[in-house]
Amino acid sequence: MIQLTDVQKYFYRGESREVHALKNINLTIEKGEFSLLNGPSGCGKTTLLNAIGALDSVDSGKIYLDEKEITTLSEDERTLLRLNEMGFVFQSYNLVPVLSVEENIGFIMKLRGFDDDVIKNRVHEVAELLEIENKLQSLPNTLSGGQQQRVAVARAVASKPKIILADEPTANLDSKNSIALMNMMRRLNEEEGVTILFASHDEYVIESVRRIIKLNDGGIVED
Amino acid sequence: MFSLALKNILFYRGRSITTFVLTFFSALMFIVYVALMDGSHGSMLKNALKVYTGAIEIYKKGYREEGGNDYLIEDVASVEKVLSKVEGISDYTSRYETYGLLSSKDRSTAAMVAGIEPQKERKLSELYSTLVSGEYLSENSGNCLYAGVDLVKKLQVKLGDEVSFVGSASDNSFAADLFKLCGTFRTGAFEFDSTAAFLSRSYFDELMYAKNKASYITIRLDDLNKVDAVNEEIIKHLDSQYESVTWKVLMKSMVQAMQVDSIFGYISIVLFFVVIFFVIMIFGFINVSSRVREFGTLRSIGLTRGKIRLLLFNEIFILSTTAILLATPIGAYIAYYFSLHPFVMEGISETYKDYGVVSDEIPLAFNLFTISWNVAVIYLLNFLSIIYPIRYINAFKPVEASHHV
Repeated sequence: MIQLTDVQKYFYRGESREVHALKNINLTIEKGEFSLLNGPSGCGKTTLLNAIGALDSVDSGKIYLDEKEITTLSEDERTLLRLNEMGFVFQSYNLVPVLSVEENIGFIMKLRGFDDDVIKNRVHEVAELLEIENKLQSLPNTLSGGQQQRVAVARAVASKPKIILADEPTANLDSKNSIALMNMMRRLNEEEGVTILFASHDEYVIESVRRIIKLNDGGIVED
Repeated sequence: MFSLALKNILFYRGRSITTFVLTFFSALMFIVYVALMDGSHGSMLKNALKVYTGAIEIYKKGYREEGGNDYLIEDVASVEKVLSKVEGISDYTSRYETYGLLSSKDRSTAAMVAGIEPQKERKLSELYSTLVSGEYLSENSGNCLYAGVDLVKKLQVKLGDEVSFVGSASDNSFAADLFKLCGTFRTGAFEFDSTAAFLSRSYFDELMYAKNKASYITIRLDDLNKVDAVNEEIIKHLDSQYESVTWKVLMKSMVQAMQVDSIFGYISIVLFFVVIFFVIMIFGFINVSSRVREFGTLRSIGLTRGKIRLLLFNEIFILSTTAILLATPIGAYIAYYFSLHPFVMEGISETYKDYGVVSDEIPLAFNLFTISWNVAVIYLLNFLSIIYPIRYINAFKPVEASHHV
């Protein structure tokens, strides 16, 4: 489903190459996987996740999503790819503050042009699964961190993307909320068949996933 | 996008209120200011043309440059026949003007003495309505002289006194007569009031040997805005020995004064707009830059740069449309009300008396076309002011924007 070949990424300051963030990454992630990019801070987890999610470009190598090369796409093509094929869960939730929980969850579906009825049904279905159905009319800033992260997961999963990329989703949550979130994501993976890739060094995430890809200094050291 | 824009407007109230208030007041002020500027020019022009100068005047070529008897219209009737066929002309009359020496018992002074058709002149100028003492002229008023109050002062004469005239008749022969002061007028234009005196043409033509002759023919129009079109029509039919000129040529100095006034007016407006533009833009920029992460999220989850642009345009569209929809009827009403009830600026006629302004009243011009373009300019400014913030926000990569602090 996702294939990376010889992916390299540098971070620059001025003309000189500063950091070799990703070193010859070769990786395949199959459909339905529940995997984790793991490693110490600064090892390249988020950079790799951003590259896979077409949020950031790479300097060399190729990334394929369902045999379609995504590294050569333009900025707008990558945006549309994210809209149609991917879901994102961010460490700091990144919900749209002016939209209610219901509108946040249905936002991507709305952008993709789904009918209002379809959106409503799906939003309620996902909200029930993530136990936030009683918060649908609330604004994000009235929710706890755990609830906001569940809304973010609901938003990512509602439009049934091919893959969900979750960057440190439990970083701002306490243990209880972290466990609950991971249980819910595993349920989503099992019940909805969504491919989920985490970038995290949180023990609750490590305990939950079925595959761990370890990185260090920008390279894969264990899979 | 529209509903998201609306929610953003309600959520970010500070920026929304500032943009709304600035747009509202700039639209209102612009409409009123332009109406005032156009109104004062219109009033100046109306006043000036009301006193003596016609909207259009017909001369024999050379008269305006050289003057004198060699350039008189020799066949007034033929020119009037042409004018009777041109549409848009409400009235016309011929004038015979000459310069001569007027003397009283103790004083004498050079003056412009003109033979006019008193009844026709009533419809064309304010000579009749600016009567101060005595009486206005009639077709049969004989040697009655109707003179400006300042000229009368110079000659030190009073109603009923005799004033002698010495000048040159139309055939360049010597012309002299005794007139009787029957009436005085005051237009407010000092130059005019201190040098001009009038007699009925029926009497003056005999003295000056000027039957069917005229210095020029002055014309009043149904609609002053059509002056150029009517003038072109007159020129088309007029014999080539004559020229037909509009008030714009006849009152060059006033036109220039109005143009200078307009230029300064528009410079003020431009400066005002620059300030408004930057204030709206800065507020827009502050708002956008405080929402970089939000835009980063939107980009990350699938909003293209085009959609972001549309979102911000929608926000400014909603704000500016609301403000303009509110400001336009208020501004238009103010312009309309003061077009009917001009406000009075004491002393304005004194300032502009050289242009024949005889009133302290300044009406506002009410013109829907002008109001429309005023509003369009404000609209445009609002849309231009959001371009830089859009470029700023769209220059971020989604991943940069998402992590922006």
